[in-house]
Amino acid sequence: MKDSCSLVSKLLEKYFDREVTDKERALVEGHLHGCPACRNALKSLEGLSAFIKAPVEEAVQKEDFPWVWQKIQREIRLQKKLTWWQSLRSWVNVSPLFKRRVWIPAVAMVVVLLFITAEIIFRKIPSYPDVSVVEYVESETDNVMVYQLEKQKVTVIWVFDEPGKDQTTS
Amino acid sequence: MGVRRTGEGSNHLVRKLPFLLILIILFFSLFLSQAYAQVQVRLRAIHASNAGSSVDPSLSDLHKELGSLFTFTSYRLMREETLNLFLNKPVSISAHEGRIVLEATLVGLHKNMAEIKLKVVREGIEILNTQVRLLPGRTILLGGPKHLRGGVVIYALYGRF
Repeated sequence: MKDSCSLVSKLLEKYFDREVTDKERALVEGHLHGCPACRNALKSLEGLSAFIKAPVEEAVQKEDFPWVWQKIQREIRLQKKLTWWQSLRSWVNVSPLFKRRVWIPAVAMVVVLLFITAEIIFRKIPSYPDVSVVEYVESETDNVMVYQLEKQKVTVIWVFDEPGKDQTTS
Repeated sequence: MGVRRTGEGSNHLVRKLPFLLILIILFFSLFLSQAYAQVQVRLRAIHASNAGSSVDPSLSDLHKELGSLFTFTSYRLMREETLNLFLNKPVSISAHEGRIVLEATLVGLHKNMAEIKLKVVREGIEILNTQVRLLPGRTILLGGPKHLRGGVVIYALYGRF
Protein backbone atom coordinates (compact mmCIF):
# COMPACT_ATOMS: atom_id res chain seq x y z
CA MET A 1 0.00 0.00 0.00
CA LYS A 2 2.85 2.31 0.87
CA ASP A 3 4.49 1.66 -2.51
CA SER A 4 1.14 2.29 -4.18
CA CYS A 5 0.72 5.58 -2.25
CA SER A 6 4.15 6.83 -3.23
CA LEU A 7 3.43 5.99 -6.88
CA VAL A 8 -0.01 7.70 -6.78
CA SER A 9 1.31 10.79 -4.96
CA LYS A 10 3.77 11.24 -7.84
CA LEU A 11 0.88 11.09 -10.32
CA LEU A 12 -1.55 13.10 -8.20
CA GLU A 13 -0.55 16.56 -9.53
CA LYS A 14 -0.65 15.30 -13.11
CA TYR A 15 -4.07 13.75 -12.37
CA PHE A 16 -5.30 17.05 -10.95
CA ASP A 17 -4.09 18.91 -14.06
CA ARG A 18 -5.68 16.20 -16.25
CA GLU A 19 -2.39 15.31 -17.85
CA VAL A 20 -2.40 11.59 -17.03
CA THR A 21 -2.97 8.74 -19.48
CA ASP A 22 -6.08 6.57 -19.30
CA LYS A 23 -4.09 3.81 -17.66
CA GLU A 24 -2.64 6.18 -15.03
CA ARG A 25 -6.07 7.70 -14.40
CA ALA A 26 -7.57 4.23 -13.77
CA LEU A 27 -4.72 3.46 -11.41
CA VAL A 28 -5.10 6.75 -9.46
CA GLU A 29 -8.88 6.52 -9.22
CA GLY A 30 -8.72 2.88 -8.07
CA HIS A 31 -6.22 3.84 -5.40
CA LEU A 32 -8.14 6.93 -4.26
CA HIS A 33 -11.16 4.73 -3.59
CA GLY A 34 -9.41 2.91 -0.78
CA CYS A 35 -6.84 5.51 0.42
CA PRO A 36 -8.17 8.40 2.55
CA ALA A 37 -4.64 9.90 2.79
CA CYS A 38 -4.37 10.28 -0.94
CA ARG A 39 -7.95 11.61 -1.13
CA ASN A 40 -6.95 14.26 1.41
CA ALA A 41 -3.88 15.11 -0.63
CA LEU A 42 -6.10 15.62 -3.70
CA LYS A 43 -8.49 17.81 -1.70
CA SER A 44 -5.51 19.90 -0.55
CA LEU A 45 -4.52 20.43 -4.18
CA GLU A 46 -8.08 21.56 -5.02
CA GLY A 47 -8.05 23.95 -2.06
CA LEU A 48 -4.69 25.39 -3.10
CA SER A 49 -5.93 25.95 -6.62
CA ALA A 50 -9.03 27.77 -5.41
CA PHE A 51 -6.87 29.79 -3.03
CA ILE A 52 -4.63 31.03 -5.91
CA LYS A 53 -7.31 31.41 -8.57
CA ALA A 54 -9.72 33.60 -6.62
CA PRO A 55 -7.39 36.57 -5.91
CA VAL A 56 -5.97 36.50 -9.47
CA GLU A 57 -9.45 36.73 -10.95
CA GLU A 58 -10.30 39.51 -8.51
CA ALA A 59 -7.17 41.44 -9.49
CA VAL A 60 -7.88 41.01 -13.20
CA GLN A 61 -11.40 42.37 -12.72
CA LYS A 62 -10.04 45.36 -10.89
CA GLU A 63 -7.27 46.05 -13.43
CA ASP A 64 -7.80 49.03 -15.79
CA PHE A 65 -6.54 47.71 -19.12
CA PRO A 66 -7.29 50.83 -21.22
CA TRP A 67 -5.08 52.79 -18.87
CA VAL A 68 -2.27 50.24 -19.31
CA TRP A 69 -2.60 50.47 -23.09
CA GLN A 70 -2.43 54.28 -22.94
CA LYS A 71 0.75 53.96 -20.93
CA ILE A 72 2.28 51.65 -23.55
CA GLN A 73 1.35 54.03 -26.35
CA ARG A 74 2.90 56.95 -24.46
CA GLU A 75 6.08 54.97 -24.04
CA ILE A 76 6.15 54.24 -27.80
CA ARG A 77 5.67 57.90 -28.61
CA LEU A 78 8.44 58.91 -26.28
CA GLN A 79 10.91 56.66 -28.07
CA LYS A 80 13.49 58.47 -30.18
CA LYS A 81 12.41 59.01 -33.80
CA LEU A 82 14.69 57.59 -36.50
CA THR A 83 16.13 59.86 -39.15
CA TRP A 84 15.14 59.18 -42.77
CA TRP A 85 18.55 57.69 -43.41
CA GLN A 86 18.22 55.32 -40.44
CA SER A 87 14.72 54.38 -41.57
CA LEU A 88 16.02 53.67 -45.05
CA ARG A 89 18.89 51.62 -43.69
CA SER A 90 16.58 49.60 -41.48
CA TRP A 91 14.20 49.04 -44.40
CA VAL A 92 17.06 47.98 -46.65
CA ASN A 93 18.30 45.60 -43.99
CA VAL A 94 14.85 44.12 -43.53
CA SER A 95 13.90 43.81 -47.18
CA PRO A 96 14.93 40.39 -48.54
CA LEU A 97 14.88 41.89 -52.01
CA PHE A 98 17.72 44.22 -51.16
CA LYS A 99 19.60 41.58 -49.22
CA ARG A 100 19.93 39.66 -52.45
CA ARG A 101 21.47 42.68 -54.16
CA VAL A 102 19.15 42.45 -57.14
CA TRP A 103 18.98 46.22 -57.03
CA ILE A 104 22.44 46.51 -58.58
CA PRO A 105 21.40 45.19 -62.01
CA ALA A 106 18.01 46.89 -61.59
CA VAL A 107 19.60 50.31 -61.06
CA ALA A 108 22.05 49.63 -63.90
CA MET A 109 19.12 48.75 -66.14
CA VAL A 110 17.26 51.95 -65.25
CA VAL A 111 20.38 54.02 -65.93
CA VAL A 112 20.89 52.35 -69.31
CA LEU A 113 17.21 52.84 -70.20
CA LEU A 114 17.37 56.50 -69.23
CA PHE A 115 20.51 56.92 -71.29
CA ILE A 116 18.86 55.32 -74.32
CA THR A 117 15.55 57.12 -74.02
CA ALA A 118 16.92 60.49 -72.86
CA GLU A 119 17.19 61.72 -76.41
CA ILE A 120 13.58 60.82 -77.11
CA ILE A 121 12.22 62.08 -73.78
CA PHE A 122 14.07 65.38 -73.72
CA ARG A 123 13.89 66.08 -77.43
CA LYS A 124 12.15 69.36 -78.05
CA ILE A 125 9.20 68.91 -80.35
CA PRO A 126 9.23 71.88 -82.68
CA SER A 127 5.98 73.30 -83.90
CA TYR A 128 5.91 73.27 -87.65
CA PRO A 129 3.84 75.59 -89.77
CA ASP A 130 0.92 74.18 -91.69
CA VAL A 131 2.69 74.63 -95.00
CA SER A 132 5.67 72.93 -96.57
CA VAL A 133 8.91 74.75 -95.94
CA VAL A 134 11.96 75.09 -98.15
CA GLU A 135 14.94 74.85 -95.83
CA TYR A 136 17.51 75.87 -98.40
CA VAL A 137 18.11 76.06 -102.15
CA GLU A 138 21.46 75.95 -103.88
CA SER A 139 22.30 76.26 -107.55
CA GLU A 140 25.66 77.01 -109.04
CA THR A 141 24.36 77.26 -112.59
CA ASP A 142 20.94 78.90 -112.52
CA ASN A 143 18.83 81.38 -110.61
CA VAL A 144 16.22 79.86 -108.35
CA MET A 145 12.99 81.29 -107.04
CA VAL A 146 10.82 79.95 -104.23
CA TYR A 147 7.25 80.95 -103.65
CA GLN A 148 4.33 79.74 -101.71
CA LEU A 149 0.62 79.65 -102.28
CA GLU A 150 -0.87 79.21 -98.86
CA LYS A 151 -4.49 78.85 -99.94
CA GLN A 152 -3.65 76.26 -102.55
CA LYS A 153 -1.22 74.38 -100.31
CA VAL A 154 1.47 74.50 -102.94
CA THR A 155 5.14 75.47 -102.70
CA VAL A 156 7.01 76.22 -105.91
CA ILE A 157 10.73 75.99 -106.49
CA TRP A 158 11.55 77.34 -109.91
CA VAL A 159 14.89 77.00 -111.65
CA PHE A 160 15.49 79.66 -114.29
CA ASP A 161 17.13 77.47 -116.84
CA GLU A 162 19.17 79.75 -119.13
CA PRO A 163 18.57 82.94 -117.16
CA GLY A 164 17.11 85.90 -118.89
CA LYS A 165 15.32 83.87 -121.53
CA ASP A 166 12.63 82.27 -119.41
CA GLN A 167 9.58 84.47 -118.98
CA THR A 168 7.01 81.74 -118.56
CA THR A 169 6.14 82.16 -114.89
CA SER A 170 3.45 84.63 -114.06
CA MET B 1 37.24 22.98 -57.81
CA GLY B 2 37.61 23.91 -61.46
CA VAL B 3 34.32 22.20 -62.33
CA ARG B 4 32.50 24.09 -59.61
CA ARG B 5 33.80 27.40 -60.94
CA THR B 6 32.51 26.63 -64.40
CA GLY B 7 29.09 25.88 -62.97
CA GLU B 8 29.04 29.10 -61.00
CA GLY B 9 30.03 31.03 -64.12
CA SER B 10 27.23 29.55 -66.18
CA ASN B 11 24.73 30.20 -63.37
CA HIS B 12 25.88 33.81 -63.25
CA LEU B 13 25.37 34.10 -66.99
CA VAL B 14 21.90 32.53 -66.77
CA ARG B 15 20.95 35.02 -64.07
CA LYS B 16 22.11 37.93 -66.25
CA LEU B 17 20.45 36.60 -69.40
CA PRO B 18 17.06 38.36 -68.97
CA PHE B 19 18.75 41.74 -68.55
CA LEU B 20 20.94 41.15 -71.56
CA LEU B 21 17.92 40.11 -73.61
CA ILE B 22 15.99 43.22 -72.59
CA LEU B 23 18.96 45.40 -73.54
CA ILE B 24 19.34 43.70 -76.90
CA ILE B 25 15.60 44.07 -77.65
CA LEU B 26 15.68 47.74 -76.68
CA PHE B 27 18.69 48.49 -78.85
CA PHE B 28 17.23 46.65 -81.80
CA SER B 29 13.80 48.25 -81.51
CA LEU B 30 15.33 51.73 -81.42
CA PHE B 31 17.69 50.94 -84.26
CA LEU B 32 15.01 49.34 -86.42
CA SER B 33 12.50 52.12 -85.81
CA GLN B 34 15.05 54.56 -87.23
CA ALA B 35 16.29 52.30 -90.00
CA TYR B 36 12.79 51.48 -91.29
CA ALA B 37 11.42 55.01 -91.13
CA GLN B 38 9.79 55.61 -94.47
CA VAL B 39 7.48 58.00 -96.18
CA GLN B 40 5.37 57.74 -99.30
CA VAL B 41 5.50 60.50 -101.86
CA ARG B 42 3.54 60.75 -105.09
CA LEU B 43 5.79 62.11 -107.79
CA ARG B 44 4.67 63.32 -111.19
CA ALA B 45 6.89 64.60 -113.96
CA ILE B 46 4.97 67.08 -116.12
CA HIS B 47 5.85 68.58 -119.46
CA ALA B 48 4.46 72.09 -119.52
CA SER B 49 4.46 73.94 -122.81
CA ASN B 50 2.54 76.33 -124.99
CA ALA B 51 2.09 73.80 -127.77
CA GLY B 52 -1.62 73.21 -127.86
CA SER B 53 -4.04 73.66 -125.00
CA SER B 54 -4.56 70.22 -123.56
CA VAL B 55 -4.32 69.21 -119.95
CA ASP B 56 -3.68 65.59 -119.12
CA PRO B 57 -6.77 64.17 -117.33
CA SER B 58 -4.53 62.64 -114.68
CA LEU B 59 -3.45 66.18 -113.74
CA SER B 60 -6.99 67.38 -113.08
CA ASP B 61 -6.31 67.74 -109.35
CA LEU B 62 -3.35 70.04 -110.11
CA HIS B 63 -4.90 71.93 -113.01
CA LYS B 64 -6.17 74.79 -110.88
CA GLU B 65 -2.78 75.36 -109.22
CA LEU B 66 -0.86 75.03 -112.47
CA GLY B 67 -3.23 77.42 -114.21
CA SER B 68 -2.92 80.07 -111.51
CA LEU B 69 0.87 79.79 -111.27
CA PHE B 70 2.06 79.45 -114.83
CA THR B 71 1.13 80.74 -118.25
CA PHE B 72 1.60 77.44 -120.06
CA THR B 73 -1.33 76.20 -122.05
CA SER B 74 -0.52 72.51 -122.20
CA TYR B 75 0.31 70.11 -119.39
CA ARG B 76 1.27 66.52 -120.22
CA LEU B 77 2.08 63.83 -117.68
CA MET B 78 5.41 62.24 -118.56
CA ARG B 79 5.85 59.95 -115.61
CA GLU B 80 4.09 59.10 -112.37
CA GLU B 81 5.63 57.22 -109.47
CA THR B 82 4.76 56.50 -105.89
CA LEU B 83 8.06 56.68 -104.09
CA ASN B 84 8.73 54.89 -100.85
CA LEU B 85 11.50 56.95 -99.39
CA PHE B 86 13.62 55.34 -96.69
CA LEU B 87 15.86 57.30 -94.41
CA ASN B 88 19.09 58.36 -96.12
CA LYS B 89 18.43 56.19 -99.16
CA PRO B 90 18.34 58.29 -102.33
CA VAL B 91 15.86 57.48 -105.09
CA SER B 92 16.42 58.74 -108.62
CA ILE B 93 13.69 59.38 -111.15
CA SER B 94 14.62 60.31 -114.65
CA ALA B 95 12.43 62.16 -117.08
CA HIS B 96 12.73 63.48 -120.57
CA GLU B 97 14.59 60.38 -121.80
CA GLY B 98 17.08 60.52 -118.95
CA ARG B 99 18.06 64.09 -119.66
CA ILE B 100 16.72 65.35 -116.38
CA VAL B 101 17.06 63.34 -113.18
CA LEU B 102 15.51 64.09 -109.85
CA GLU B 103 17.13 62.52 -106.81
CA ALA B 104 15.04 62.46 -103.63
CA THR B 105 16.40 61.45 -100.21
CA LEU B 106 14.47 61.28 -96.98
CA VAL B 107 16.74 62.89 -94.40
CA GLY B 108 14.33 63.26 -91.50
CA LEU B 109 10.93 62.06 -90.47
CA HIS B 110 8.90 63.69 -87.73
CA LYS B 111 5.28 63.50 -86.79
CA ASN B 112 3.37 64.81 -89.84
CA MET B 113 6.48 66.16 -91.50
CA ALA B 114 9.16 64.68 -93.75
CA GLU B 115 12.44 66.35 -94.53
CA ILE B 116 13.43 65.56 -98.09
CA LYS B 117 16.58 66.50 -99.91
CA LEU B 118 16.05 67.05 -103.63
CA LYS B 119 18.64 67.30 -106.37
CA VAL B 120 17.95 68.08 -110.02
CA VAL B 121 20.59 66.96 -112.47
CA ARG B 122 20.38 68.12 -116.07
CA GLU B 123 22.60 66.23 -118.50
CA GLY B 124 24.96 65.24 -115.71
CA ILE B 125 25.19 68.72 -114.20
CA GLU B 126 23.57 69.42 -110.86
CA ILE B 127 21.44 72.48 -111.37
CA LEU B 128 19.55 72.45 -108.07
CA ASN B 129 20.13 71.21 -104.56
CA THR B 130 17.40 71.87 -102.05
CA GLN B 131 15.89 70.54 -98.85
CA VAL B 132 12.20 70.78 -98.11
CA ARG B 133 9.84 69.93 -95.28
CA LEU B 134 6.93 68.17 -96.86
CA LEU B 135 3.64 67.89 -95.03
CA PRO B 136 0.94 65.35 -95.81
CA GLY B 137 -1.59 66.61 -98.32
CA ARG B 138 0.74 69.37 -99.50
CA THR B 139 2.39 69.72 -102.90
CA ILE B 140 5.81 70.95 -103.87
CA LEU B 141 6.30 71.91 -107.50
CA LEU B 142 9.86 71.83 -108.67
CA GLY B 143 10.23 73.12 -112.19
CA GLY B 144 12.21 75.06 -114.69
CA PRO B 145 14.52 72.71 -116.58
CA LYS B 146 14.00 73.15 -120.30
CA HIS B 147 12.41 70.44 -122.39
CA LEU B 148 13.98 69.77 -125.79
CA ARG B 149 10.61 70.05 -127.54
CA GLY B 150 9.93 73.39 -125.93
CA GLY B 151 8.45 74.25 -122.59
CA VAL B 152 9.72 73.03 -119.24
CA VAL B 153 9.69 70.01 -116.98
CA ILE B 154 7.85 70.33 -113.67
CA TYR B 155 8.06 67.79 -110.89
CA ALA B 156 5.10 67.66 -108.52
CA LEU B 157 5.70 66.00 -105.15
CA TYR B 158 2.73 65.22 -102.98
CA GLY B 159 3.05 64.00 -99.38
CA ARG B 160 1.08 60.79 -98.75
CA PHE B 161 1.65 59.96 -95.12
